[in-house]
Amino acid sequence: MKKTQLKKSSNAWVIVTTFSLVLITITVGVFAFRFYLNGFKEVKDDNTYEQYYVMITEERKSSFWQSVYRGAYERGLEENVYVDMLGDNLSQEYSRENLMRIAISSAVDGIIVAADESDEMTQLINEAASEGIPVVTLYGDNTHSNRCSFVGVGNYNLGREYGRQVLKIADEKRDKQSVKVAVLVNAYALDSGQNIFCSGIQDAIDQEKSEKFEIEISLISVDDTNAFSVEESIRDIFMEEELPDIIVCLNELNTTCVYQAVVDYNKVGQIAILGYFDSDTIINAIDRNVINATISIDTGQMGRFCVDALTEYYEFGNTSQYFTADVTLIDKSNVSDYLEGGDVNEN
Amino acid sequence: MKINLRKLSLQGKMSSIYILANLLVFVVTLILLSGINSMSHDMDMVYQDNLHLNELSAALTDVQDSMTDYLNAKTSDSLEEFYRNEQTYSQMVLELNDDITGTSFGRMERSIKHMSEKYLDIVGQTIEAKRGRNVEKYRVRYESATQMYDYINTYIYSLNNEQFKNNSENYSELSKAFRSFETVSMLVLFIVIVGNVWVIVKLTGTIISPLKDLAASANEVAKGNFDTELIEVQAEDEIGVVTGAFNQMVISIRQYIERIRQSMETERAMKEKELMMEAHLKDAKLKYLQAQINPHFLFNTLNAGAQLAMMEGADKTYEYVQNMAEFFRYNVKKGDETVTIREEMELVDNYIYILNVRFSGDIHYEKKVDKSILNVEMPSMILQPIVENCVNHGIRELAGNGKIKLSAYRMDDVVCISIKDNGIGMSRETIEQVMNGTYRDKGLSAGSNGIGMDNVIARLKLFSERDDVMTIISEGENQGTEVIIYLQMKEREEEDV
Repeated sequence: MKKTQLKKSSNAWVIVTTFSLVLITITVGVFAFRFYLNGFKEVKDDNTYEQYYVMITEERKSSFWQSVYRGAYERGLEENVYVDMLGDNLSQEYSRENLMRIAISSAVDGIIVAADESDEMTQLINEAASEGIPVVTLYGDNTHSNRCSFVGVGNYNLGREYGRQVLKIADEKRDKQSVKVAVLVNAYALDSGQNIFCSGIQDAIDQEKSEKFEIEISLISVDDTNAFSVEESIRDIFMEEELPDIIVCLNELNTTCVYQAVVDYNKVGQIAILGYFDSDTIINAIDRNVINATISIDTGQMGRFCVDALTEYYEFGNTSQYFTADVTLIDKSNVSDYLEGGDVNEN
Repeated sequence: MKINLRKLSLQGKMSSIYILANLLVFVVTLILLSGINSMSHDMDMVYQDNLHLNELSAALTDVQDSMTDYLNAKTSDSLEEFYRNEQTYSQMVLELNDDITGTSFGRMERSIKHMSEKYLDIVGQTIEAKRGRNVEKYRVRYESATQMYDYINTYIYSLNNEQFKNNSENYSELSKAFRSFETVSMLVLFIVIVGNVWVIVKLTGTIISPLKDLAASANEVAKGNFDTELIEVQAEDEIGVVTGAFNQMVISIRQYIERIRQSMETERAMKEKELMMEAHLKDAKLKYLQAQINPHFLFNTLNAGAQLAMMEGADKTYEYVQNMAEFFRYNVKKGDETVTIREEMELVDNYIYILNVRFSGDIHYEKKVDKSILNVEMPSMILQPIVENCVNHGIRELAGNGKIKLSAYRMDDVVCISIKDNGIGMSRETIEQVMNGTYRDKGLSAGSNGIGMDNVIARLKLFSERDDVMTIISEGENQGTEVIIYLQMKEREEEDV
C-alpha cells in the first residue's frame, strides 16, 4: 500500500519535473536567443556625450593627423566630449573651408582646425566665434582671427634644431665648398609657421657658421593646391641639373615623397634628407641611412592640448594663447628606440 | 488541486491530459511564432532608417526646388508649395535626434538637424528678401542656401550609405539568425513533443495502473483465490468505483463462504450428537438389561435349581431348568464369539424346548441337518434370533398349529441353513425393509434377547465379507416365511477339547 503510494507520488514528481524542465528549456532558449539577437543589434557605442568638438585638417588619413586625432579623441572621452574628425564619414571631399562652414552650421561645441593665414580662414574663424563656437588652431595658426588658442610645435626652435643638423651634415661633406640646402615649403604657404621655421634654420646657421664652407639656403615651393601635385613637384626638383645637397622637409607627405624620389633616382648618400614626423616609413628610412634625421612630434600631446584648450575655454571663458607640443630629434643614434615599439608617441 | 485531480472522472482525466499536452504545444508554438514575428519585424525595420533618410532627402529637395521655383517665377502657387514643403521638412527635422552619440550615425543626424534648421532659416530669409525685392540680398542668401543644401544632401547621402552598409550587415546577420532560429524552433518543438509523449504515456500509465491491478486481482478471484489482497482505491473515478465494488464483492463472498462453513459445522455437530445420543441410549438399554439379569448369577441359581430338582426326582423340572441354564450359559459365554453350527443348533433346540414348556408344546419343531456340516463356523447368536422372530411374528397367533422347520444342507461350497415357518408371512415391502435394515420393530418384545434382524444381517455380512448372506422368501399372507442363511464352508479345526 505504502509502496504504491510512494510509486504514485514519485510518478507525479517525475511529471512535474518534466513539465518544468520543458518550460525552463523553452524560456531559457527564447531568452538566450533574444539576447543573442540583441547582442549584435547593439554592439555600437551608444553613450551620449555632453559636448561635440570637430577637428578639421587636410590629409586626414596621414598617420600624423590620425595620431593627433587619437590624442584628442582619447582626452575628449575623459571629459565626456566626443571629438570627431570632420569629413571622415562623408561621401564627398570638402576643403577645410567648407568643413568649417559645415561645422559652424552644425552648431558644434568646438572647432579644432589646422588653419593657415588666409583671409577666408580668418573670416570663417571669426564667424564661428561670433556664433559662440570656440576655435583652436592646430599646427598652423591664423593669428589675425578670433581663435581662442593655438596648439603647435615651437617652429623657431625646430628651425634652429634643423639648422644644427644642416651644419652637422655640411661638416661631414667637407669636400664641397658650398652646401646647397633646399627647404620645401608649400606653394600657397600662408602659414606663418613655415616662415618662423625658416628663420630658425637661418639663425642657427648664421650663428655657428664656420668659414670653411658656404651654406646656401633656398626655398623650394611645392604645389599643394590639388591632389597628387605634391609628389609631381617634388619629382620636378630631381629633374633639375643642379641638385641640392640637403633637402629639408616640413611635413610627412613631403618627407615620404622626397625619400622615395631619392631612392628612385639613386641619390642615396648624395642628397641628405631632414624629414618631418616619425611614421614607420620614415623611421625605417633613417634606419637604412636614406634619411639623416627626422623630428618626432608628440602628436598625442598635441591632440590633448586642443581638447584641453577648449575645455578650459568653456570652464574659465579664456585659455592660454599658445600650446607647444614636445619635439624630439630622431637620427641614426636613437632610431632603434622608435623601431622597436613603432610610434612611441602614439601612446 | 490534488484532491480535485483525484475526484476527476476518467474522461475528465484523459481529456485534461490531452488538453494539457495540446496547450503546451500551443504555448510553445505561440512563443516560437512570436519569436519569428518579432524577427521578421526586425528584418522589416532594418532598412527603415534608410527609407526615412530617403524621405528626408526628398523633402529637402522639395524645399530647395520650390524655393528656386519661387525665386524664378514668384508665383503664389510656388510660394504655397514652398511653405507646404518647408512645413513638412521642418516637421521631419524636428523628429531628428539631437544627442551627441558615440555612433557616427547619431552625430551625423545631429549635424543634419542643426544644418537643416540653419538652412530653413536662410531659405526663409531668401524668400523674405525675394518678396521684398531685395535682389542683392536674396541672391547672396540663395547661394548660401544652395551651399547648405549641398552640405545637407552630402550628409544625408553619406549617412544613408553608412547606414546601408551597416544595415546590410545587420540584415545578413539577422537572416542568419533567422535560419538558426528555425533550427532552434524545430529542436524546441521536437523536445516539447517528445516530452509531451513521455508525459502522456506516464500519466495514462498512472490512470491505467489501478485497472491493471484490478484485472490481476479479478483473475486471482476467478482462479478461486478469495484471499487475494484487497486493492487500494487510488482515485474516485470510474475505476475507483469499480475497484470499490470489486473489493466489496470479494469481502461479501468471503463472508458468505464463512457463513456456509459455520452452518455446515453446526449441522455436522448436531448429527454427531444425535448419533451419540442413539449410541448412549443403546448402551443404557444394554446396561439396564445387564443389570436386570446377571447371567452368571442366573445360570448358577438355575444350576442349583436343576440339582435340587434331580435330588427330588423331578426329572422334567430338572430337564427344563437344565435347558434354561444351558440357554443362558450360551448367551453369557458366546456373546461375541465364533461358534459352530452345532452349537447354534443346540441353542435353538434349547430355545424351542423352553418355549414348548412355556407354551405347552405349541410349536412343532422339525430338524433336518446334514451332519457333515455341523462343524462349520458361523457367528454366534444368529439362528436363535431368527427362530425367535419366527415364533414372535410368524406362528404365535396360530395357537398350537405353528410349525418351524430347521434344515441345514450343503450346496457346493456354501452351507445353507433354512428356517421355515408356516406363519403369517411377510409382505414384499417388509422383506425389503428388513433386508435394507430400515425396518424398525415396534418396541422390543419382552423376552427377546434384544438382537434384531438388522444386527443379524450386519454380523453375517461382516463374517462372510460379502453381501449375499440371507434370503427371505414368503409366498404371501399366511403362506409362511423361509429365511435362508448362506455360509462359507469353513470348518473348525480343533473341536471342543
